[in-house]
Amino acid sequence: MKFVRPIAAILLACLATPALAAPSPLTVPSKLEPAWQAKTRALFKQLIEIPTVHHRGEVQKMAALIADQLKAAGWSDADIQIKPYEALPGDKTAALIARWRADKPTKKPILILGHMDVVEAKRSDWTFDPFVFREEGGYFLGRGSSDMKNGIVATTMALIKLRQSGFKPDRDIILFFTGDEETQGKGAQLGATEWRSLTDAELGLNADGGCAGYDRSGRPLGCAISMAEKTFQTYFFTTHNPGGHSSRPRPDNAIYELADALKALQAHRFQPMMNEVSRAYFEARAKQEGNNSLGNAIRAWLANPNDGAAADAVEANELEVGHTRTRCVATMLEGGHADNALPQTAKATVNCRIFPGVDTKAVQAELQQLAGPKVQVTMDPAFLGQSSPASPLRPDVVNAVTKAITAIHGPKMEIIPILSTGASDGSFFRAAGMPVYDIDGSWGISPDDERAHGLDERIPVRAMYDDVVHWEIVLKELAGK
Amino acid sequence: MHRLAVLVLAMGTSALAAPATPSLPPAQRTATHDMFEHVINTPTVIGRHKVPDMAQYVADQFLAAGFPKDDVHVLPYHTSSATTGDDDTAALIVRWRAPGNSKLKPIMLMGHMDVVEAKREDSTTDPFMMTEQDGYYYGRGTTDMKDGIVGITQAIINLKAAGFKPKRDIVVLFTGDEETNGIGAKNGSSQWLDLLGHPEFGLNADGGGGNVNTDGSPAGFTMQTAEKTYAGYTLTVRNRGGHSSKPRKDNAIFTLAHALDRIEAYRFTPMLNETTRAYFDGRQKLEKGPLGDAMRDWLANPNDAAAADATEASESEVGITRTRCVPTRLFAGHADNALPQLATAMINCRIFPGVEPDAIRAELERIVANPEVVVTRNDDQKASLASPLRPDVVAAYTKAVHTLHPNQPVFPEMSTGASDARPFRVAGIPIYGTNGGWTVTPIDNRAHGKDERLPVQSLYDNVVHWQILLRELTGK
Repeated sequence: MKFVRPIAAILLACLATPALAAPSPLTVPSKLEPAWQAKTRALFKQLIEIPTVHHRGEVQKMAALIADQLKAAGWSDADIQIKPYEALPGDKTAALIARWRADKPTKKPILILGHMDVVEAKRSDWTFDPFVFREEGGYFLGRGSSDMKNGIVATTMALIKLRQSGFKPDRDIILFFTGDEETQGKGAQLGATEWRSLTDAELGLNADGGCAGYDRSGRPLGCAISMAEKTFQTYFFTTHNPGGHSSRPRPDNAIYELADALKALQAHRFQPMMNEVSRAYFEARAKQEGNNSLGNAIRAWLANPNDGAAADAVEANELEVGHTRTRCVATMLEGGHADNALPQTAKATVNCRIFPGVDTKAVQAELQQLAGPKVQVTMDPAFLGQSSPASPLRPDVVNAVTKAITAIHGPKMEIIPILSTGASDGSFFRAAGMPVYDIDGSWGISPDDERAHGLDERIPVRAMYDDVVHWEIVLKELAGK
Repeated sequence: MHRLAVLVLAMGTSALAAPATPSLPPAQRTATHDMFEHVINTPTVIGRHKVPDMAQYVADQFLAAGFPKDDVHVLPYHTSSATTGDDDTAALIVRWRAPGNSKLKPIMLMGHMDVVEAKREDSTTDPFMMTEQDGYYYGRGTTDMKDGIVGITQAIINLKAAGFKPKRDIVVLFTGDEETNGIGAKNGSSQWLDLLGHPEFGLNADGGGGNVNTDGSPAGFTMQTAEKTYAGYTLTVRNRGGHSSKPRKDNAIFTLAHALDRIEAYRFTPMLNETTRAYFDGRQKLEKGPLGDAMRDWLANPNDAAAADATEASESEVGITRTRCVPTRLFAGHADNALPQLATAMINCRIFPGVEPDAIRAELERIVANPEVVVTRNDDQKASLASPLRPDVVAAYTKAVHTLHPNQPVFPEMSTGASDARPFRVAGIPIYGTNGGWTVTPIDNRAHGKDERLPVQSLYDNVVHWQILLRELTGK
């Protein structure tokens, strides 16, 4: 997800659970029948091995493969559409829209969201080929294994399984898989507007982002569902210099000036902020943490939203990064044009996750202030972020998810709202008036398995299989009554 | 060569009363002009496969002048690297044998036939069509360095025609990839050494030369005796990365920024060698103000780092007092929404002669002082060495300069750039940049740049200059 909320962000520990040594989540058998495990694995392998990185032109192939699976399982040609579109300039990608028609619909449809594209992964950075599917040590590995070909496979297999079992939905269920969530989000924008007649639904369920995970001792962390999300905006820091021959260094240097601005960025802290969703989240978190230092910091901040020190202490906790304010971080660098020439230009990409309601231009001004006059701060024109409203906490969604996670993971867990630190394709639908809930059911181990966009991305084998069961239960609940 | 604005130094010059300056007879002048025009019009840029044509053309001139076939060798070779592209190029080796059995080893005369790219749209006139205008020859390679190729070649042809018999062998080496990969010079300093007769020392036309100020006053001639070592390094920071919505406390880019900051603040230890001492001794005589004071203080006390720093800080002296390293390129990250897993900076160093590039790698590691920042070398360059100031070469060069330019002071020079000379110096063969071409400073400093040009008179002076040098060094 361009923006995901990693599993662990949440850590809603079931403190009622006695501190018994829990069995490793990796070795607990999946509740998915072995025959369906084999089918799931086969599809997962095929999809991981299609490198759906931007500009490689592979997304259409993946969409066609999923379409073929659905057709073989009974979807009619007329109910499946592959929509080609261009995302980044020259990036030819596609979206898949597939509708399972209810015989006698009694409610507006459900839209299931996901994306088929993945973030770039370089063979040289990884310990193995990111586009060769592997199973090792209880894990499936490969680019997209957790973000989010797992969700694509789980929702697709769950629908096929339900259809083959004779399940009759009482509302249409629409699969909507985009092809540029990691770069542009153009597919989601089109889906929320131009293609709305094909995607219109009462609510969206986003498979791009799960609600929970396990901690390292094997305890379930509970479930938080994203109801609101931060605004995504990328900025560029650029420095210019006349350059010259590198044997005669000038006192001023574009790379050094950029480095100074990056150090200032690293030291900068944005103003802490709280809204309704994050307040509800932190109230639940404070209860869970109890009387420890994090719990006390959260309570101090809740009691006094102007207590900046308390907010800083909360933000500093690995589990709460990004929940208390706007965050900006340097993600890319480029500079210079030849090894033996002084750089004429140096540029840093600074990625920001902006607290809902804060204007992207205000953040730009703040960045310019800290970077100083030698650095030019501009907004990435390729993607201009926009704020989206929070979705209401629907009891039917909460009940369905509760039923699924209880069936798979044991005792009943509290479900709380959360502010996602990023935005996903869901933001475009939220902005267009459709509530969206991120409820994928792949439970990894936090924080070890949080490798989306990073190195050696992986997902527990069991999590992949149980995710099929999870979606099966959720959809039965929401489309079968 | 990677030519830089050459500093002008003064080494106690007395304006010697000179006889009338010699010049070329008309026939030799015409031959020089025609050869220059032919080679300028041959675009010997990497990738255009034209160096072999030029090598054969120059070889034909030597053959026509009576050099035996067995002593004229066109040596095709391949040059390539990841960043420069590749080319089928060639070197030319010509041996002028001394009669009898000279016990002295040959003197080598060097140059390179290739030129830096010049685009038609970036130039006022076609850079590969020589034009003459306002007292200048225009075209790519007019100063870097087809003037030197022509100067050496015509001087030898003229001397031979005049019946001159060298008392030791003279061997010519013209390479075909100095501006890119320097494979020709590497081969010359190793596998072609037998063909070259293991020269005692070399005179490089791609170094030295003189300047005249725009007001016509002399700005000095320099003899290049040393050059810094060019070496590249990479700083690499790796990180687990992750999702950019959840910034980690450690970040490859921020770590790299701190490392660059430390390199910016660092000053390498000032150093002096024979060449730069003579250079600064000449310079300080011309500098009456604070810069001259700093030079004098430093020369008096080589441990006076503040004086060395003050000297280095002058725009005219950058790079001459020590090793300098500067970041030239940055690369980091793989997506705008992912924390960087890899951040790298290219550090380009110009190392004081005699200092090992490996030692600079270790020093960079100490400067950065962070085990998360890995410092590696990008190449296998050897330490460049300064050539000793040989009295015979200094005397011959000074005589040639003063014969043609009685008012010009002469200084030794350490180049901050790099040329074909380095592998020979490393192999123990001293090399002296002794070209006799001259330009007007700074308006003619156009090597590698737009509308490269050479004063017309400089082309012909240079032929005479090389004739004097060869008579002085091989005729006695």
